[in-house]
Amino acid sequence: MSSVRAVDVKEHEKFKGVYWIEFEDGSTRLATRNLTPGKRVYGEQLINLGGVEYRVWNPYRSKLGAAIMNKLEVMPIGEGSKVLYLGAASGTTVSHVSDIVGLSGLIYSVEFSPRVFREFMQNIIDQGRLNVIPILADARYPEQYISLVKGVDVAYIDVAQPFQAKILADNADVYLVKGGYIILVIKAMSIDVTKEPSETFKREIDTIKERGFDIINMIHLEPYDVAHALVVGKRD
Amino acid sequence: MYVSSTVYLVLDALGIIALRDDGSVVDKLVYDYDAQRIANMLNNIEVGKPTDELVGFINRLAKAGVSTVYVEHKELARNLTNIIKGIEIKAELPTKVGRLFREEFWSKYLKEIYGIEPIEYIKRVNEVSVIQTRLKLKQAAERRDLFIAQAINSVDDLDKVSNLVASRLREWYGIHFPELENLTRNNNEYAALVYKLGDRSNYTKSKIMEALPELGEERASRIAEAAAKSVGASIVEWDLQQIRSLAKLYLDMQTIRENLTEYIDDAMKDVAPNIRELAGSLLGARLIALAGSLMKLALMPASTIQVLGAEKALFRALRGRGRPPKHGVIFQYPDIFRAPRWQRGKIARALAAKLAIAAKADVFTGNFIAPRLKEEFMRRVQEVKTIYAKPPPRKPAAKPAAKPHGKPERKPGKK
Repeated sequence: MSSVRAVDVKEHEKFKGVYWIEFEDGSTRLATRNLTPGKRVYGEQLINLGGVEYRVWNPYRSKLGAAIMNKLEVMPIGEGSKVLYLGAASGTTVSHVSDIVGLSGLIYSVEFSPRVFREFMQNIIDQGRLNVIPILADARYPEQYISLVKGVDVAYIDVAQPFQAKILADNADVYLVKGGYIILVIKAMSIDVTKEPSETFKREIDTIKERGFDIINMIHLEPYDVAHALVVGKRD
Repeated sequence: MYVSSTVYLVLDALGIIALRDDGSVVDKLVYDYDAQRIANMLNNIEVGKPTDELVGFINRLAKAGVSTVYVEHKELARNLTNIIKGIEIKAELPTKVGRLFREEFWSKYLKEIYGIEPIEYIKRVNEVSVIQTRLKLKQAAERRDLFIAQAINSVDDLDKVSNLVASRLREWYGIHFPELENLTRNNNEYAALVYKLGDRSNYTKSKIMEALPELGEERASRIAEAAAKSVGASIVEWDLQQIRSLAKLYLDMQTIRENLTEYIDDAMKDVAPNIRELAGSLLGARLIALAGSLMKLALMPASTIQVLGAEKALFRALRGRGRPPKHGVIFQYPDIFRAPRWQRGKIARALAAKLAIAAKADVFTGNFIAPRLKEEFMRRVQEVKTIYAKPPPRKPAAKPAAKPHGKPERKPGKK
């Protein structure tokens, strides 16, 4: 962790709730405003500027962070957003989304593996993030969490599974409000190792289009993640 | 009472709502708020098990003249159909009305049905879902400990059997190539050579290197040399075939063993992360197997954990013959078996004490406290090593004396 002093903070040019922290040596880093001051989630740096605590957002650890670093154009998650997050894992990205949506927003965090979800409970729930609803369930069967989840503005998926575009669309059919957005992190390698990344990206995007979504932004995540892309879509 | 004879059920965390197809509310059941009870109910509904409340609610609808009910859960609808007569229960995901309900939940239905603010609703759903998740995490861990116990016992069985097979293999193949016996002590290498090369005449340096690159040039050429000068009996393919299949069996068992240990390690991360961090996954699994289950292990005092696996010695000591054992299976812990004899008991006691805490944390709280426990344990190990660096003087009397008073002399540093 750097010992360079932070000197200034600016809100992101386009996205509310996302910040650039400027350091003494002229470097800048992505950050969000800490919803639970004093607490870390994954060993990230905490920075206090003007009485506000920020958490540095590591793009190597979070794909949404990587996409913003690579000039994502549309960011449907803002203050007050309701988000269905499939593949919450240990909660790295969820923690920043939780910072962004704030207490008027809500994140339904679905994860299938008990092992990583135990970490999630420690990282997110025990830290007192009240805007997160933990759901240990299989995203392939959206009816499993029908009692918990209500209409969401954004459905986000980051699971290492084949057919993730289909899983996302199935969930969107049930839970996404009219005019809502989807965000899909495509991990080419985990979908099909035998195919070239671009081919896999195309196949997943075709699935999304077939299910009635327009692709409005696609960002490759190099150098933060190899053979990954983040896709933003919308259905009216 | 009801206008429509078809209604759409919407399941919520805090109640059940029946809607007409225009989205207007027909009837509702708001649960008395008890997070623990609701969490249990939702866990049942989720896997398709009808709750008393749900059955009662649908019966109420049937009495009021409703003929068809839509539920957004296939399994649940099927099980309801088996219980409830006189009303048709259909499944559809999502229903048009369900979508509408969720879409307008925050702006309209939340207030209309519960009369509470979004912040209060979110607080309650959060509370319920957290309890639900913890219950599920616990269940996921509870059952698997028995699998782990079986898996670790299988590892021990495999070791026993593969040692038997290996010694038979060495004896049998030794008739043909007796010199190989002393050239490799490692059973894996031996079996791989027998399986891949077969007849002694195949033992050229290049073929050996190809079959088992990890041997290294030097050893490969020594084996090749020995093969060329071997005094063993010659063998025909027909005889050799049987020996090779035995070698194959040995190699397969090793692969299974590797997979099993990987499986145990993964499962231990889930079931007993604290024990795993403290004692390692294999030793931790052995303790669970010896105790019978993770729950039983968690209910044991540290002194019992210390001698798990040394029952024979323990009961011999209790009957008054011989001294009590210092350690059972935890002897396998490197810091214990590498320590000098007189330190082992002290280290074993310290480890058992920490393991007892770790097991309780794994079963009851689920908190990951192992790093702290491990640090405390390592500190105690260092302490034992400095304070008891020299062996204690031999006791003059044959009968064990009463506990000596005062602290033993401090002897800083190692010998």
